Amino acid sequence: MKNHKIRHIKVFKTIFILIFIVFYTNNIYSQEVMEDAIVTLLFSNENDTKIIEAKVSDTDGIPIEEVELYFYVKRTFSLLPIGDGFNSTDENGLVELEFPNDLPGDTEGNVTIIVKIIENDLYNDLSIETIKKWGIPTEISDNTEKRSLWAAAANAPISLIISISGMILAIWFIILYIIFSLFKISEIKPSKYVKSIT
Amino acid sequence: MKKTALKEQKFESPREKDLLSHLVSTSLKYKLWIALLLLINFVGMYAYYRQVKYGLVVTAMRDYTSWGIYISNFVFFVAISLVGSLFSSILKLNKNEWSRPLIRISEIIAVAAIICASVIIIIDMGRPDRFFYVIKYLRIQSPIIWDVIIISTYLVISILLLYISVLPDIALCRDHLTDIPKWKKKLYRITAINWSNHPKQIEKLKKVSKILAIAVLPVAFAIHTVTSWLFATTWRPGWDSTNLGPYFVSGAFMAGAAVIIFAMYIIRKQLKLKAYITEIHFEKMGRLLVLLSLVYLYFNINEYLGPAFKMVGVEGEHITELFVGSYAPMYWFVQLGGLIFPIIFLLFRYMRKPLPLAIISMFVILGAWFKRFLIVIPSLQHPYLPIQNVDESYLHYNPTWEEWAITISSFASLLLIITILIKLFPVIPLKEAKIESETIVEHNILKNEES
Amino acid sequence: MDDKNFNTDSRRKFLKKLSTGSLIAMSGLGLYSCKNSSDKKTTLLTQEGKLVQVSNSEIEEMEHHGVSPKEAREGIPGQKFVMVVDLAKCKNAKKCINACDKHHNLTPDRPYIKVLEMKDNKKSSPYWMPKKCFHCDNPPCVKVCPVGATYKRTDGIVLIDNERCIGCRFCMAACPYSARVFNWGTPPNESSNISYSPETSVPSKIGTVAKCDFCPDMLRKGKLPHCIPACPNGVIYFGNELDDTVTNGEETVRLSTILREKAGYRYMEELGTKPRVYYLPPVDRLFPFKKDTQENNEL
Repeated sequence: MKNHKIRHIKVFKTIFILIFIVFYTNNIYSQEVMEDAIVTLLFSNENDTKIIEAKVSDTDGIPIEEVELYFYVKRTFSLLPIGDGFNSTDENGLVELEFPNDLPGDTEGNVTIIVKIIENDLYNDLSIETIKKWGIPTEISDNTEKRSLWAAAANAPISLIISISGMILAIWFIILYIIFSLFKISEIKPSKYVKSIT
Repeated sequence: MKKTALKEQKFESPREKDLLSHLVSTSLKYKLWIALLLLINFVGMYAYYRQVKYGLVVTAMRDYTSWGIYISNFVFFVAISLVGSLFSSILKLNKNEWSRPLIRISEIIAVAAIICASVIIIIDMGRPDRFFYVIKYLRIQSPIIWDVIIISTYLVISILLLYISVLPDIALCRDHLTDIPKWKKKLYRITAINWSNHPKQIEKLKKVSKILAIAVLPVAFAIHTVTSWLFATTWRPGWDSTNLGPYFVSGAFMAGAAVIIFAMYIIRKQLKLKAYITEIHFEKMGRLLVLLSLVYLYFNINEYLGPAFKMVGVEGEHITELFVGSYAPMYWFVQLGGLIFPIIFLLFRYMRKPLPLAIISMFVILGAWFKRFLIVIPSLQHPYLPIQNVDESYLHYNPTWEEWAITISSFASLLLIITILIKLFPVIPLKEAKIESETIVEHNILKNEES
Repeated sequence: MDDKNFNTDSRRKFLKKLSTGSLIAMSGLGLYSCKNSSDKKTTLLTQEGKLVQVSNSEIEEMEHHGVSPKEAREGIPGQKFVMVVDLAKCKNAKKCINACDKHHNLTPDRPYIKVLEMKDNKKSSPYWMPKKCFHCDNPPCVKVCPVGATYKRTDGIVLIDNERCIGCRFCMAACPYSARVFNWGTPPNESSNISYSPETSVPSKIGTVAKCDFCPDMLRKGKLPHCIPACPNGVIYFGNELDDTVTNGEETVRLSTILREKAGYRYMEELGTKPRVYYLPPVDRLFPFKKDTQENNEL
């Protein structure tokens, strides 16, 4: 009976070890077991409607259904989500969304569109970046170079500069003239015929 | 020492003796007076040393009441400096001959006040070591820069006005005063710039004098209007008013007139100039003070009626605090004691005699100083956004001893400069035009000799 | 013989137990290391001259990198920063104030950010309004500065150069929103070795003025100012107006959309200062209004 028991335990342990080894290696190499999805993007711009069509297929080219794709536009500090909340592929592996017409881009109108698969159960995370000229070109108007009251010292309003300089020049001209006159007074030699002050 | 000096110094006329004797002799009273002023100044300098060492935290100013009595004192000094232009320009051009003896006192006060105003604004700066940045990096768009420009211009013009008024008398001092120290003789000789009463010189001086008299008037109006723009260009209740320029200028003339009356009284008493600064002068100055106070009263009514009628937001809170709130005692002292009662009292002839007039002027001056306090501080305590979660000390402004010491020492400096200038130059013109004032003076000399 | 067998049996049992145990232990370690495969370490030299290995997660980046005062007058090109504050979410948790005070070495009596209890009229409910400098497009403070110590940049930020400020406090009188604070006494760490930059406002100097600066040192690195991630309720949104996007760290929305849908407004628009901070009215509030108590300071 003891041998019977020992055999049971042995078998049990072996199975346990085997299962464990499978699980462990699966864990270590799990990433390589999950499948890669391939996403191809199609951009079309007809009648001022911009449409992004994404097709998801696996490594063999078979379209995958029910895969959630996240569409973003790259912005200064974060990614702006576009489209509806849920963009799942249909039975043909396709998902379509409309790109907004009024999104600003850089100075030439370029925007970076990012399509991601995030935390999908079956497929690895994926991120594709594309730059398209679908944004409105932004004009950077530099208000700090214009003349205004709040600009730097060099950009004061011309009217202010002229009026203040004019007034300063006028009054200081008078002051300097007076100082000059005083100087002239000092140069007048005393006359012999005038007594000193009584 | 007094007696021996007079013996050696020979004066050529009684008028000269009266006006020049204090230049020659130094009395004990004078020395004590100077000592007192210097002592006050030393205390002030120690307070400023503490301020430079520890920063402006030694004052009671904090993030909301960021301007305090330094700024209100500055506005007060700029205000009384306008009196120079009142006499040298307005009254002179208007041919008010009675005012001629007082021109020099007014110019002396104007020069001293502007110098003290500039010093006190430097004391208020957080980084006085960077004062020259104002010249190096100046922005012409800033009202402070306009103020700096106009104050320096007015200082130069006031010095010129004083100088032109005193030039013939310096020459006289150079010629007639013998018993004075060498440095003083040299001073008179240099500053007299070869004045010899030559007709050409007299003509030139008259011309220059007239030009300056006209030129100083717009500058004087501008200086206080630009100072008012330091407040009117901001969004604060009590400051955001279109009335602020005329309000400040009219207040300045009134305060200046009161200062002149008080100075007249003291100088008349101390230098024994009863014959020259006569009761008629006080009578006329009293009437002038009433006129200027009525103009100021008019602007006061305008300044408060509009906001009080509407009671808009923080403006309403500000008005309430002035009329019936924590600042009410100060406000009503200023308006009643410093403005309305003086007007009423001065309508009576008796009140325009020297002593009563001097006392009333004292109240007007006190009222004017506290009025500037009321202009600067309560407005800062009512910003648009509520003051919350701050230390108790932020809500009230009670100036610290350092601030009071520096303020009082600025007054001591003002008096010091005035005293020194009076000691150096005759305070009343020795030569006067032969018009009605001379007859008054001659009459009074006779009266003096009788008494 | 039974004894011998018994002994070998127990040894075998022991060995088997040991091997099972070690296999389990190894698997545990393996699983654990799978998750933390990126536990990198860096070698650092301590003050005593020893070499130590410190894991990267424990090293904090020196955050005070700022450009020189001269360079700070140029804005970050291609950007115009804007902030949106959602008053419906603010609970006066004061975490933004704490983060800002910490990164700018501020004493608690002079914070750059103030959260005010506002009550528009007698019948409305009070609400919390975080207020900092609005970086106005028509800034009254910049207009009145006599030396140009405060200036407006191309990227919309209004900065202060503490090496040029003369301490006249005219800007404090001119700002209608009481946004500025002054270093009345010596600020903390004034003499530290960090070189001064207007973009970090650190180290602050005595006798000069200071205010919220939108943390340009963080913006240059593409990161948000310190108050935004610190807020637990996502009250403050920040972004680039030219991008038409603002984010509060978690949520990114279009600026035009959020202002249109939630009726964004600027405080005291009628003053004409053109602030760059918008407020979203306190409707559909996340928390009922509670007076400023200890409770609000804890999450």
